[in-house]
Amino acid sequence: MRTPQPADTADTGAADLEHVIEVGGLRQRYGDFEAVRGVSFTVARGEIFALLGTNGAGKTTTMEVLEGFAPATDGTVRVLGLDPVGQRRALRPRVGIMLQEGGFLGDLTVAETVDLWKGLSEDAGRPVTLSGAELPGRLTLMGWTKGADRRTMGVLELVGLESKARTRVKQLSGGQKRRLDLALAVLSAPEVLFLDEPTTGMDPEARRATWKVIEDLRARGTTVLLTTHYLEEAERLADRLAIMHEGRIHTYGTVGEVVAGSGDLVSFRLSGTTRSYDELPILNGAAPALTYAGGGTEVSYTLTGEGADTRAHAALSPLLAWADGNGETLGQLTVRRGTLEDAFMRVLGETP
Amino acid sequence: MRTDVLHAVRLARLDLTLVARNTTVLFNVLLMPLLMAWLFTQAQGGVSVAGVPGPVYVLTGVPGLMLGFAVFINLVNSYTSRREELVLKRLRGGQPSAAAVLGGSALGALALFLGQVALLGVWIRRSEGVLPSNVPLLVLAAFLGVVLFALFAAAFSAITPNAEMAQITVLPVILIMMVGSPIAFPAGEMPGPLGTISNLLPVTPIVKIMRSAYLGADHFSSGGGALSTLEQWTGALPSLGLLLAWIVAGALLARWLFRWEPRRG
Repeated sequence: MRTPQPADTADTGAADLEHVIEVGGLRQRYGDFEAVRGVSFTVARGEIFALLGTNGAGKTTTMEVLEGFAPATDGTVRVLGLDPVGQRRALRPRVGIMLQEGGFLGDLTVAETVDLWKGLSEDAGRPVTLSGAELPGRLTLMGWTKGADRRTMGVLELVGLESKARTRVKQLSGGQKRRLDLALAVLSAPEVLFLDEPTTGMDPEARRATWKVIEDLRARGTTVLLTTHYLEEAERLADRLAIMHEGRIHTYGTVGEVVAGSGDLVSFRLSGTTRSYDELPILNGAAPALTYAGGGTEVSYTLTGEGADTRAHAALSPLLAWADGNGETLGQLTVRRGTLEDAFMRVLGETP
Repeated sequence: MRTDVLHAVRLARLDLTLVARNTTVLFNVLLMPLLMAWLFTQAQGGVSVAGVPGPVYVLTGVPGLMLGFAVFINLVNSYTSRREELVLKRLRGGQPSAAAVLGGSALGALALFLGQVALLGVWIRRSEGVLPSNVPLLVLAAFLGVVLFALFAAAFSAITPNAEMAQITVLPVILIMMVGSPIAFPAGEMPGPLGTISNLLPVTPIVKIMRSAYLGADHFSSGGGALSTLEQWTGALPSLGLLLAWIVAGALLARWLFRWEPRRG
């Protein structure tokens, strides 16, 4: 197991695999503001890689450079070995893009939107297996409504929008628009899929259905780069992930590696609010964090370093000895492994 | 190249579909210029301008006005609203090239404009009994006019913050086109430097070429004498030169100003 490391210039450990996405020393500046400050990572074929971070962390900017919306201010960027800006025409048929928001013509129906996109896309050279029941055209009070062919209906069934085929896009909910966006992104069976916050605004059922679609795409060999605010989503989907903050990658690796890097958490409660750091023990080199609340003192230790399997055990003996020796009761004593949220909060410089 | 043309045609069809579904746009783009044409002909009824009956003079100049409505206003609206709603960004993120995305909308506007010119032709034929003399020159001027105002629309969309504001940003251009170009009376009849300015306005060469091509007469100057087909083409050269100069200026402006996405922050 590799230890997660600050990955601004780090190797990803995937050198033996084909790197579908390569980012090296990426910097992106808008005027005086540097949105991305030297980011490097690679994504292997068939891998789902998640970029996590708060708003303004630089996730979407990184994504947009990879999508070819803007040339990099500095650094190198390659997708399928191609420059997303300079070799746009060769690259575009091979990638699918799900924007963070918007981009629809509200007066078109859902089926018309897919049809339009189909007419503007050529397949990525991979078999398109999407197929559903043909939707016939029909006469309504608003005039003749075009039907939809099997492929259009197939992709709408994939994202659960087949019943909305004749609905104008402006009448869809936010979550339904996200699903339509996903339909457009996967329509031409792309080799690489960029998903910018794909499940924002979706209800839990639609979110899980979307995860299933993404997992199925991975099973078919599609490489996915996604950004998300949902840690649960990253934990469920990502083979590897990176946590960005203020334009930099602070930690990356598999979920297990990132979580292991966040350490184990020991917490308990002491009576009284006059406790100080000096009277509490140092455990495995970790100093306590104190919070005064509810007439007591919440104490927590984050145990990091070597011996991930035994470090909590090693810390408990001296802690219990300290409690016995000082006549203290460790209320609500809890020992648990770190979570992705702990790792995330740690990057943000906060304690959970 | 073939793919670009296919994409542009699909996007042009899309634009025409959306115009047909929006009654406000339909009125502004199609009916408003025809209504104004009718009002102009009423004002010019019974008089002769540059050797032709007033209504004929006005109706052969109205395409200049139609360019303002069917092309300029329509495309400023379209480019601005699609930029703000991230439609342009989505299209740019897909397979169509930038030229196909912008050209597709311009192609839709060209179809609208040519349709209006054809309607105008029917009107002139029925009311005044005049048929167009030089259709190729007429179509060339129409095409170049659409190219010019599509480029202007791309540039003006950049200084238009949203679709609602589009009516305001295009207003000065429309007013100048209505007052300064030879739609209802010859450009040279304006006093002093105004006549010179009027002759240099972007819509003036379009109107001069279209009117001369329609009537088979010299309306490049204020003469009005009959011209052979060859003379119409040679007579049109200075106007075509001016028009091409405006197209180059429009292209530079569009390239400099046009934005695919809303401003950040």
